[in-house]
Amino acid sequence: MVKHHPPADFLTEYAAGVLPMAQSACVAAHLSYCQRCRHIVERLEDIGGAHFEQLDPQPVGDSMLDRVLARLDDPEPLRYARSEASDDRLPGLLDRLINGDYADLAWKRVTQSLSISYLKTGDLEHEFALYRIAEGGKIPEHTHGGSEMTLVLSGGFSDESGEYHPGDFIVREGWDKHTPVALEGEECICLAVLDAPLRFTRLRHRWLNPLIKLNAG
Amino acid sequence: MVEKTTQSAAPPAQNSGKWNVPTGRRTDEWSQALVSVGESQDRAAFTRFFRHFAPLIKAFALSGSSLSATHADELVQEVMLKVWQKAGGFNPEKAAASTWVYTIARNCRTDMFRRLQKFDTPLASDDFELESEEEESFIVLHTRRGSERVRELMGELPPDQAQILAKVYMEGKSHSEAAAELDLPLGTVKSRVRLAIQKLQALMEA
Ligand SMILES: [Zn+2]
Repeated sequence: MVKHHPPADFLTEYAAGVLPMAQSACVAAHLSYCQRCRHIVERLEDIGGAHFEQLDPQPVGDSMLDRVLARLDDPEPLRYARSEASDDRLPGLLDRLINGDYADLAWKRVTQSLSISYLKTGDLEHEFALYRIAEGGKIPEHTHGGSEMTLVLSGGFSDESGEYHPGDFIVREGWDKHTPVALEGEECICLAVLDAPLRFTRLRHRWLNPLIKLNAG
Repeated sequence: MVEKTTQSAAPPAQNSGKWNVPTGRRTDEWSQALVSVGESQDRAAFTRFFRHFAPLIKAFALSGSSLSATHADELVQEVMLKVWQKAGGFNPEKAAASTWVYTIARNCRTDMFRRLQKFDTPLASDDFELESEEEESFIVLHTRRGSERVRELMGELPPDQAQILAKVYMEGKSHSEAAAELDLPLGTVKSRVRLAIQKLQALMEA
C-alpha cells in the first residue's frame, strides 16, 4: 500500500504536460504503483479537457482533412515491447530506460553500501539515477541545493521522517538534511531525480554532490 | 450500435462563461463518434469529429504562441491520426471525449517541442501511458461524476485562479514560467493553483 504521494503541484504540472522529462518520468513511475494518484491525475486532466473545449476554434481547411483521410491507412508506428529480461513489477517506462536487468547497468560504487547508476532521459537539467543500497546500509548525511524526488522501487528505507516502501514517493526541497538507512532483509533500489544546478551541467556525469566529495575525501 | 445520422453539430460554445458538462447532449455525440471510429473505423464519424476538434487542436497548438502556423498544422494532423489509431482504446465510461483528445494533443505537443529543441531522449510521451487495467464499476461511476464536477468547478473559479490554470494547461507554461509572465511571485502562482485544486478535491469528496 503506497503511503507517500507526490504533492498536488507536481501532479497538476504532470497533468498539464509541463513537468521536465526526468521529473515527469518519476511521477509516471509512481502512478504505475498508485491508483489514488491515477484518479487524481484523471480529474486534473479534466481541467485540461474543460479548457480545451472552450478554446476559440482556429480555422482548419478541408485540404488538411483530405491529407489526414489519405493517411488513415498508413501503418501505425511500432510500439515498444518489453524486453525478455525485464522485471514485470517495474513500471514500463523505467523498463525501457533500463533495457534489461539491473545487473547489466553500469553501477558506480560510492560507499560500501551505496552504488549509483545514471540513466539517460535527455533531460539536461535533472539527474535521473538508480540508487542501490545494501540492506541496512546508510547513506551519509547529505544536503544539496535543489529539489530531490525519490521513488522506492524495491526494498525500503527509513529516515528521520518515516519509513518508505515500493511505490512511495518522497520530495525534499533545498537544504533539508536527512540520513536514509535501508531496511534490513533486502537491498533497496530507489529512483532519484535531482535538480542539476546549472554550474554542474557540463560535468553532468560526475555527480558533484557533497556526498561524493565527502567520499572521495 | 446506434448509427448517428444527424450532421447538425452545434457550433462550439464561444461563451467562456459556459462550461460543458459531459452529460450534455453535444459532448455525448463526440463520445459516440469516437466509439464508432474505434469499433468500426467509421470514416464519416471521424470526419465529423475532425471538423469539430481539429480547430480546437489548432487553437491549442497556437496558444502560448510557441509554435509556428506550419508546426500547428503539423500538430493537428499528428493528433488526428493518433485519434484514429487510438480510438479503440477510448472508454466513454471513463473519460470525456474532450479530455481524451486533450491528453493526446498535450503529448504530441510535448513531443513536438522536444523534437524542435533537438532534445535527445529514448522516450516518447506514449511511453508514459499506463497499461490500462479493469476498474471496478463503482470507481468508473465515481470517475464520471468527478469529470462532470470538474467542469462545474471551472465555471466557479475566481478569475485569478482560472487565468493561471489556463496558462499552465493551454499554454504549456510551468508554474515558474507562468509566474514570470504574469509578473507574480512563484509562491502566489503555486498558492492559486493549490486553492483551485483544493476546491476540486472538496467537490470530489462531497
Ligand atoms: Zn500516489
